[in-house]
Amino acid sequence: MVNSVVAGLTSGGGYALLGLCVVLTYRLVAVVNFAMTAVGAMGAFVMVSLTDKGLNVWLALVVGALSAALLSGLLGAALVRWFSGHRERTKAAVTVALYVALTAIGLRLFGGTSTGAHRFPNPFGDPVFTVGGVVVPQSVLVSLAFALLITLAVGLLLTRTRLGLKLQALSERPSTAEVVGIPAPLLAVGVWSGVGAITMLVIVLVAPRLGGDFSTLAGLISTALAVAMVGAFRSLPLTLAGGLILGCLEGVSSSLDAIQKYQGVVPFLVILVLLWWRSRREVWDTAHSR
Amino acid sequence: MATPALALEGVGVNRADIPVVHDVSLDAAPGAVTVILGANGAGKTTLMDGIAGLAPVKSGTIRLGDRSIEKLAPYKRARAGLGYVEQARTTFRTLTVEQNLLVAQQGEGDLGTVYKLFPELDKRRTLQAGYLSGGEQQMVVLGRALVSAPKVVLIDEMSLGLAPLVVRRLMTTVGELAGMGIAVVLIEQFANLALDVGTRAYVLRKGGVVYSGPCADLRGDEERLHRLYFGGPPLTAADRDAGAAESEQ
Repeated sequence: MVNSVVAGLTSGGGYALLGLCVVLTYRLVAVVNFAMTAVGAMGAFVMVSLTDKGLNVWLALVVGALSAALLSGLLGAALVRWFSGHRERTKAAVTVALYVALTAIGLRLFGGTSTGAHRFPNPFGDPVFTVGGVVVPQSVLVSLAFALLITLAVGLLLTRTRLGLKLQALSERPSTAEVVGIPAPLLAVGVWSGVGAITMLVIVLVAPRLGGDFSTLAGLISTALAVAMVGAFRSLPLTLAGGLILGCLEGVSSSLDAIQKYQGVVPFLVILVLLWWRSRREVWDTAHSR
Repeated sequence: MATPALALEGVGVNRADIPVVHDVSLDAAPGAVTVILGANGAGKTTLMDGIAGLAPVKSGTIRLGDRSIEKLAPYKRARAGLGYVEQARTTFRTLTVEQNLLVAQQGEGDLGTVYKLFPELDKRRTLQAGYLSGGEQQMVVLGRALVSAPKVVLIDEMSLGLAPLVVRRLMTTVGELAGMGIAVVLIEQFANLALDVGTRAYVLRKGGVVYSGPCADLRGDEERLHRLYFGGPPLTAADRDAGAAESEQ
């Protein structure tokens, strides 16, 4: 069971990063981006298609990340151009439509669960050390370090740099940010591109463990949203913690035969519990306001 | 008259695809306060939003100095030297006073000038703008426009919801901005306060200009202002000419 929890931490670090990407997109450009993991999966499959053709893994990784950044940037530009004045729910609905479209295209290009599983390179699969019979692979440390690094780097960027201040201003009052000279459309597209590239890297990191088919990887958005909900779509440290907890829960569920087949339901359970927990306070407040 | 810092020629602005402002022409001279008056719904804020790029300009030209800006994105207009103090004290509430100024700083814009103009803000540099009083928030917004090193500053109803004492204090600052050589375009609900600091006035009714002339001619003349705001028989030749122009549109 401990082995499963440790293995779950690999995914947990990845989930935390995906949750952070959701939170960042929401905080900085006010969009709940349902298409995020589909875009990342596109980039990941560009990479794996290139490695299948014999290209060097690291070069293919860069090309894949750039292609995800480009695709995400294009989607962001379209949202900025045509939907910037619309409500959040409208923009979220647009990303749902994009998710459906990208998943359909991805399945067409790269195959489905039964036909399209690719062998993703796993450069961090070797064990680092063994403690009391528990093997800790490199991927656990890499994903945790990556998640911590991104959390810290984003926190510092937002609070300590002029660019970060501008991004905060943009997230708070987009139109006012523009009239004080902040290039809102460019920054928004930059955020979309950055999130696209990071998502692709995370998907490459978790793909060897989760299986290399497009629909599974694109479907990681439900996990990412559950993690973002732990952080209330705002807190970066809580989102990080949420990702790790979800990864561990998934690890535990995979080690218990009785519930193993329901492993995929874990994110939805987390979402349900969080919605119920948060609604308790609203019910309490409403009762007291009467 | 000196070359205008801001010149509008036949400008029409839509709001949600509905034409609200039509065929407005006006000039704002550097180092002077140009006042725009009108009743609620006359199109004053829509005109300002059109100049700043927040509402689509459907016709006409807007020149900032020698440059046409009507097709530029809002942030490019700001970088070209157009400052905009929007209605409703639009501070970035989670940023501190200093951070509010830093995000808007451009070119030769100097935070020291802002703190000299508003010593109140100097003491609250590290406080989040959301915790400031209404008057102080308005000072932040004015200061934010000033640190962008603007040639023109548009100010829309800055007195909204503020105590009369604070409004007078801010009006003095508006005069000081003009004293720095900036062209100020001021929309104000307290017409007489605005006319006191202004040199030239325009009155809008139903999205069109029904008066343009010196502020001195309107100062203290409540009856004439009322007629210009809401319509009625013209009292002067200038009003008659403007009324004829309006009926031709």
